[in-house]
Amino acid sequence: MIGCYVTGALPRPNELIEKTRAYERGRISQKELEETFKKATETVIKAQVSAGLNYVTDGMLKWQDLLRPFTEGLEGITVGSLTRWFNNNTLYRKPIITDFVERDKEIVKNVTYLGKLPKNLLGKAILPAPFTFVALSENQYYEKEKLMFKFAEIINEEIRSLAEASFSYVQLSEPALVYEPLAPNVKKDKLALVNDVLEIAVKGTAIKTCLQTFFGDFSQILPEALDFPVDHLGIDLYETDIEKLKQYSFDKGVALGLVDSRSSLVEGQDELVAVAKEIIESIYRSRMEEVFICPNCDLEFLPWERAEEKMKVLSSVTKRLRGEFS
Amino acid sequence: MNELFPTQEVGSLAKPRWRTKGYRGKALSEEEIAEAVSWGRKLGIENLEELVKLLSEGDSTSRKRALLEWSSKYAIRFFETAGLDIVFDGEQWRSEMYEHVIRKTAGFKFLGYVKSFDYRYFNKAACISKPKYAKSFYLDEFLFAKKNAKREIKVPFTGAYTLVDWTFNEHYEKKSSGEIRDFKRRKFEAKREFLFDLIKEVIRPEISKLVNAGAKWIQIDEPAVTTNPTDDEMELFVESFNETVKGFNCAFSLHNCYSNYEVLARHACELRNCSQLSLEFANRDSRQTGTGNARTGYKEIRLFEEHGFHGDYGLGVVDVHTNFVESPELVRDRILHVVKIIGDPSRIHVSTDCGLRTRTWEISFKKLKNMVLGAELARKALK
Repeated sequence: MIGCYVTGALPRPNELIEKTRAYERGRISQKELEETFKKATETVIKAQVSAGLNYVTDGMLKWQDLLRPFTEGLEGITVGSLTRWFNNNTLYRKPIITDFVERDKEIVKNVTYLGKLPKNLLGKAILPAPFTFVALSENQYYEKEKLMFKFAEIINEEIRSLAEASFSYVQLSEPALVYEPLAPNVKKDKLALVNDVLEIAVKGTAIKTCLQTFFGDFSQILPEALDFPVDHLGIDLYETDIEKLKQYSFDKGVALGLVDSRSSLVEGQDELVAVAKEIIESIYRSRMEEVFICPNCDLEFLPWERAEEKMKVLSSVTKRLRGEFS
Repeated sequence: MNELFPTQEVGSLAKPRWRTKGYRGKALSEEEIAEAVSWGRKLGIENLEELVKLLSEGDSTSRKRALLEWSSKYAIRFFETAGLDIVFDGEQWRSEMYEHVIRKTAGFKFLGYVKSFDYRYFNKAACISKPKYAKSFYLDEFLFAKKNAKREIKVPFTGAYTLVDWTFNEHYEKKSSGEIRDFKRRKFEAKREFLFDLIKEVIRPEISKLVNAGAKWIQIDEPAVTTNPTDDEMELFVESFNETVKGFNCAFSLHNCYSNYEVLARHACELRNCSQLSLEFANRDSRQTGTGNARTGYKEIRLFEEHGFHGDYGLGVVDVHTNFVESPELVRDRILHVVKIIGDPSRIHVSTDCGLRTRTWEISFKKLKNMVLGAELARKALK
């Protein structure tokens, strides 16, 4: 099966951008802002549906950064200073772990417009992976690995809750594991730790899971990543050594980050189809597993109109690939 | 000019309301005009009645130009009155450091707002054809500052690496698609080509105009340098800096801030014709007086020294992101602490961390005055 979906927050459409700025300047009320969020969420869901994506997200328009709902929603964490988001011209607020971390309320559900997701389509939710959350936090309380296991338990509770809310798919975003300046040479023992942490995060959940890596070279965590207890592995093809990737044989599904969220250039479809086809043929020598065509990271790095165009590219490329492999 | 510990700022200063509103053609309140007069008196600006008359006039192209000149003159006097040895005009002619250059250069198109953080966004352009010099973006401002400043001038200049890093690279990525199969390498090569075309076609021609018009010192502002802290990217930056300044009879310095300086320190000694590194430190330092352990913010100076950087420092001793006014004693101790580390006091220029644009004029003035007093205390201490 070849499908497609997005892999992170979508850009806020222009009207929402204007309203959030007006809100910051005290010119509109919280209620008016909230109405605009709802309307914009409808817009970005509709765009995913009409592009023909197989799983639909609510666009994560409310997420100020990938970690923020957890930074603000969990007990024991305070919101720290603005910090650069990997090698982007964007910032996030660093979680400061000051006390015992506790989840006493729903986190992702509270920032998701569940009611806006179409009932007849499959829903996808996106959460930070434990390793990335810890790598981007300032830990003043736990012994290092203990915090990662603690966060894995919280993610597990979240996944269970999202499955109950009829989500079919959960992506764990894992940029920190492959981002070169943070992980110059990923050591085997670190990958073993990530494996153990993921076991806890997905334990007992009957929902499809994907570990989505981005901003770095996925091939450096091979072959160990093939044993990770997730259904799919996400790969940023704009950061990954593709030739090296093709040397491995996969026995699990992949999400190929074939469309570049950090470039406004709308990709030529012929080339994307050719590149994806080569990768699929190389990594699945005997039996093909599930393949998703997706953006390499959050489309929110683009203005909304460009993101919308790129979603259409995703869908067209996927259709052509289905033709190739039918 | 003070021979030891000359004082400087980094570039921007807030624009007064009469400048921003006036430039947009909006009517000014009596209070806003009174503010212009009050600061004008404080700074010893001549012919204030002319400005008052101008502020009451209706919008026109000549009025816009005159407003730029007036606010430029105000900013120059502001820095001079505070006692700085090296000044400029607070970048009063520029909307901000990125858009100002891109809008005056051919080959770019603004695509719209993208998220910076929370509810903040920035207007991001795409390069859609080979960049071409269309009109000068700094020359008029420099000529005016040169005519009006009584002190030495340092011209802030947004660096090519930052302009490229903050821009979508459509033209070059499109050009190389199909040529290079590896996406990562393709993007890097496309970035390199964009960068060096921009330097050749736009940046160097403007520097050439400034130098021919008498500019003696240009500060290359590169906040994006440390965005990609890998050796490949740093080598690309170093090459771009060296290419930018190559062969000009002018002094150049580099400004960077709010970064992990480790990777910059490794490569700083490879910069040619870079007489000064202007860096933010006060923001990360404690507010206690004293040298030694109290100076938590200045640790990374050692990295630059260990990696063999022998140029001067534009030492950030004033935090531009807080209204806390550093005492002269705190400024003095920050200077003396770094003297102890690097040994040679003549390598220190006393500076703000970054441009002062986010502070009010009242706060900025107090901060700069104390910076000047602190430098004087440091000179006395070394006598």
